[in-house]
Amino acid sequence: MIVNVSHLYSFLKRIQSERLGGFDVVILPERTENGNLFYTRMDGEKNIEIDSYRAVDPLKSLFYFPREQILPDKNKLVKRLVLGVKNCDLTALDILDKAMINSDFVDPVYQSWRENTTIVSADCTEISDSCHCNLVDGKPFADKGYDVNLSNIGSDYVIKTGSSKGEEFVELLRKYIPISDDHADDREKVRELRKKTMRRLEAQNSDFVRSGDYFLLKNADIQKWKDESKSCVGCGGCTNICPTCYCLILNDETLSKDFVKVRSYDSCQTNGYARVAGGASPRPKMYERFRNRYLCKLTIMKENFGRLGCTGCGRCIDVCPGKIDFREVISRIMKSPKTQECNHD
Amino acid sequence: MTKNPYQTTPAIIQEIIEESPLIRTLRVKLETPIPFKTGQFIELTIPNVGEGPFTPSSSHYTTDWMEITIMKTGFVTEYVHKTKVGDRIGIRGPYGTCYPIDKWKGKDVLIMGGGVGMAPTRSLFLTLLHDLDNYRSVTFLMGAKTPNDMIYKYLIDDWKKIDKVHIVRSVDRVPEGETWSENVCLITKLLDKINLDPRGVPVVVCGPPVMMKFGTFDLLKHGFSEENIYLSMEKKMYCGIGQCRHCVFGEYYACKDGPVFTYDKVKNEENIWE
Repeated sequence: MIVNVSHLYSFLKRIQSERLGGFDVVILPERTENGNLFYTRMDGEKNIEIDSYRAVDPLKSLFYFPREQILPDKNKLVKRLVLGVKNCDLTALDILDKAMINSDFVDPVYQSWRENTTIVSADCTEISDSCHCNLVDGKPFADKGYDVNLSNIGSDYVIKTGSSKGEEFVELLRKYIPISDDHADDREKVRELRKKTMRRLEAQNSDFVRSGDYFLLKNADIQKWKDESKSCVGCGGCTNICPTCYCLILNDETLSKDFVKVRSYDSCQTNGYARVAGGASPRPKMYERFRNRYLCKLTIMKENFGRLGCTGCGRCIDVCPGKIDFREVISRIMKSPKTQECNHD
Repeated sequence: MTKNPYQTTPAIIQEIIEESPLIRTLRVKLETPIPFKTGQFIELTIPNVGEGPFTPSSSHYTTDWMEITIMKTGFVTEYVHKTKVGDRIGIRGPYGTCYPIDKWKGKDVLIMGGGVGMAPTRSLFLTLLHDLDNYRSVTFLMGAKTPNDMIYKYLIDDWKKIDKVHIVRSVDRVPEGETWSENVCLITKLLDKINLDPRGVPVVVCGPPVMMKFGTFDLLKHGFSEENIYLSMEKKMYCGIGQCRHCVFGEYYACKDGPVFTYDKVKNEENIWE
């Protein structure tokens, strides 16, 4: 299916103002004055960018808030339409889904946000300096996980649906704006543009080591981790902004008869993270916590969820006050002779 | 709708037993009982303060009330030690895996509890006593730093009278002004004093990390096998359900894959003793 870009944009504005389709809010990336993209509540068509690359804030912040009451849980009755989601964030959402909605337990607040939100992803048409999904089994476009996907081919979007929620959304579009069938040459254009973005990513990241042997990181010389973590100040910015980090602190805020529990983000980069009562900690040193983050993303999460915990969004690179580049650290450690030696063990 | 995993059950403190200067036992009455299997743990809430993971020290056959023995060692436990009889606290759970006591039928069972590690092992001990006919014998090694730190003193005489039950206790040292007529040595040295054929004997170890570590090494030296040594992994089990990730070590969550692991399962993981 095909929809005209300007038709869609002006329709999005109507969705929010007239609550079409029952949507209470439309959220999409907006370019701020200093040039950054942030998810924001739609306010006119100015500066919105559905295409481009991922926003500064991770998609998780729309489903798993930095601080949220979890008991008693209230159903989120706000119905949301989120657009401009990139594949790195969709992949991350798959990990969060497995972590929050599984056979052991269901996080009711997360589940409620998920159920009441329609996700419209869009192919990346640009890449940021830190983007590296191609290194970690990813692609700059989605082929699953979305409700609707938009592929920009100039003045039109090629629309694909991926769920019943997505089909409902397209039905809504149909009621108000013209939707036509896509043709072979449109699909060809999508393929070409996707390839073009992928080629740019490949060129940008050609010096870095891609996933495949990341499990070897476990065996790397500890001294390498000490060297790499020298400029880490343990601020936890990387874990807060990571789309797959979901470690939480649970606070009890009971003031009356009913128990009240509030969860907020925690960071494994802080010293108190794994410290138990009495003071013992499995990772008292900064380099141990630094190493733990890499191993969690690249080996432990793979064992827990069947996929890498890094989706290549590069936000941890942008946020780091110590200018630590995740790709460089992995590559240097992977290329060190000792790490590779372990391959033959 | 599915149950909120953080749903907490109110409980009233019925009795407080001061076990030692730092350890007290709370006997609580739950608004609705929480059935558990020995080895499993619960999260105990002090309202508006926080919660922490504790293993009940009562038998899992006891359903009218639950006893939890707690050492004052951190933020939440400081408030636990400020509670009074009649106070309302919260409990949720049970979480984690239990001791596979069904597999131990017909066997000698060895339990080593050091310090406040005597608390969760007392739950196991009392549970085994309930079906004592099922086991060949139960040996409970109890260790504390000093006589004043030894908990459950008031129960020992009755336990010692029970056929097939052996209680051996030790303290690391006897400070001036305290008296002690039993062993003065590290708890791990008590292994030299018991007469058990180690083959096939399940051993449960719970105590401070250093005792778990050297206890395990000594057990191996005495011929007990890796897959029969049950260790309580002390990790920060914040949520209890595998969500918060604080207790992850290697591929395991201490809270849902444990907290009890046999040594053969965890021996290759990093920092298991810390």
